[in-house]
Amino acid sequence: MTRFDLGGMALRLFTALMMLFLIFPIGVTLIVSLNPREFLLPPTGITFEWFRAAWTSETFLRGMGVSLVLGVSASLIANALALPASMALVRNEFRGKGAVSLFIMSPMLIPTTIFSLALYIYFVRIGYGSGLLPLLVGHTIHVLPFAMRIQSASLHRFDPSLEEAARNVGAGRLRTLVSITLPTIRTGLVSSFALCFILSWNDFPISVFLAPPGWTPLPVELFSYIKFQYDAVAAALASSLIVLSAIAMVLIDRFAGLRRVMRG
Amino acid sequence: MLRRIAPPLVPVVIVLLIFVVAPMLWVFRTSFNELVDGAYMVDALTLKNYTRFLGNPWYLMNTLWFSIRIAVVTTAISVVCAYPVALYVARTHGLQRNILMTLIMAPLLIGLVTLVYGWIVIFRGGGLLNSLMIALHVYDEPVRYMWNIKGVVILLVYIGTPYIVLSLLDSIEKISPYLVEAARNVGASRWTAFWKIVFPLTMPGLYAGLVIVFSLNFAAFAVPLMVGDTSTQMIGLVIYREALLNNDLPFASALSVIMIAVNALILVGMAALFGRLILRKLESDR
Repeated sequence: MTRFDLGGMALRLFTALMMLFLIFPIGVTLIVSLNPREFLLPPTGITFEWFRAAWTSETFLRGMGVSLVLGVSASLIANALALPASMALVRNEFRGKGAVSLFIMSPMLIPTTIFSLALYIYFVRIGYGSGLLPLLVGHTIHVLPFAMRIQSASLHRFDPSLEEAARNVGAGRLRTLVSITLPTIRTGLVSSFALCFILSWNDFPISVFLAPPGWTPLPVELFSYIKFQYDAVAAALASSLIVLSAIAMVLIDRFAGLRRVMRG
Repeated sequence: MLRRIAPPLVPVVIVLLIFVVAPMLWVFRTSFNELVDGAYMVDALTLKNYTRFLGNPWYLMNTLWFSIRIAVVTTAISVVCAYPVALYVARTHGLQRNILMTLIMAPLLIGLVTLVYGWIVIFRGGGLLNSLMIALHVYDEPVRYMWNIKGVVILLVYIGTPYIVLSLLDSIEKISPYLVEAARNVGASRWTAFWKIVFPLTMPGLYAGLVIVFSLNFAAFAVPLMVGDTSTQMIGLVIYREALLNNDLPFASALSVIMIAVNALILVGMAALFGRLILRKLESDR
């Protein structure tokens, strides 16, 4: 009785085309970076020559260093701020709770342009000028809502009676936190850190606004490079970034469920 | 009670007050300042920055109206691209679903510059697409896809579509399959069942996706900066140029205030429209 399902077929075909559209630029970059003859597709073989060039380029290495320092510090600070806050919000009911959570999540609602401009003007105004601090603040606040989201999700699944039990047998607040709470939500912390790091590591809009001279994060270096030449060395660098993002995606998905944290 | 809840919340609230609220207020204040030739900006209370933009038909047409149009068009295309995908993904399970979800979310986590690199390889003059089209004799001369408005539209659609898929999927998954089954049992065709049952119920998700993607695209500056050309005067990019290249912070601030106000206005309009759409649907079904 099953009729030939034209609608279902069309839906399937359209989805396949859309997936091709989404994955195409990523796949092309990976292929170009492994292809010995610069740019010519289809590939004629496999080489890691471009990767060697990208990973020994002084400019890119410096950019990587900046992005690494920035990503690690922004993620650490954002998570340190988010952990106590999400604990307070998940475990307590109080008047104004909705308003407080909305306020903490609000950086997500401000367009990057305006947020970056605001920080830029603000630091000029307070006489700091341009330096590393605005860049670090920009990255930290950008990733903070994501840290809140993952941590709240992992705390929701945490059974508070575990903590009560520890307190009952005489453990202090700090002891309970270190030996019960943190180990239990460790997967949430790992994925939160991974997400914050990868968002900061790949960020372009905030960095291009706020990076001070001498402190250019990797994506901005890559952008200035491909403005003038988009050879296979750039492809190798881009591919390295893709591989790193893929690893982070697996990690986040494993521990927190990627979809829940990326949704709008 | 307060003594227990306040301490863990205080640090984050203070950080946000100092580094988000105060800077945003300061943008508003700066928009009334004056830029003096030779000197830096001077504290003033002038509307000059606003009248310079709002009183200038060129700016209004080529920046504000242009950005609104680009945002509307790219958001609409994203919805058309995203809707069928969300419908399809909602039916999948297990491995297939994991693969699809990974592909959909990959562009959200991979940096913009990285993605742009791939698009350049595909779209540049002697790039993949042009070589293919010329080999297939679709056209003889390479066509420019990048460094103009076409590139900006393609990139914005590319980045916006995953967000809309995700928020539609939220709504679709909440719909009970029994609803559709019941409609089919009483004789509704597949198309009628979709149009009368599924579509109205996805309105909240669609609305959420529209809000996110419209706001993102309206304010976009990184995409036009990377793949646009000098004629791409999107308001976000103009703010960036005025602030960093021309050092005209008061004007950039006024533009930011205008951008937020217009965005809010459009979102309110969209909320009203969606509210009315859903209401009308309910009434007609009664």
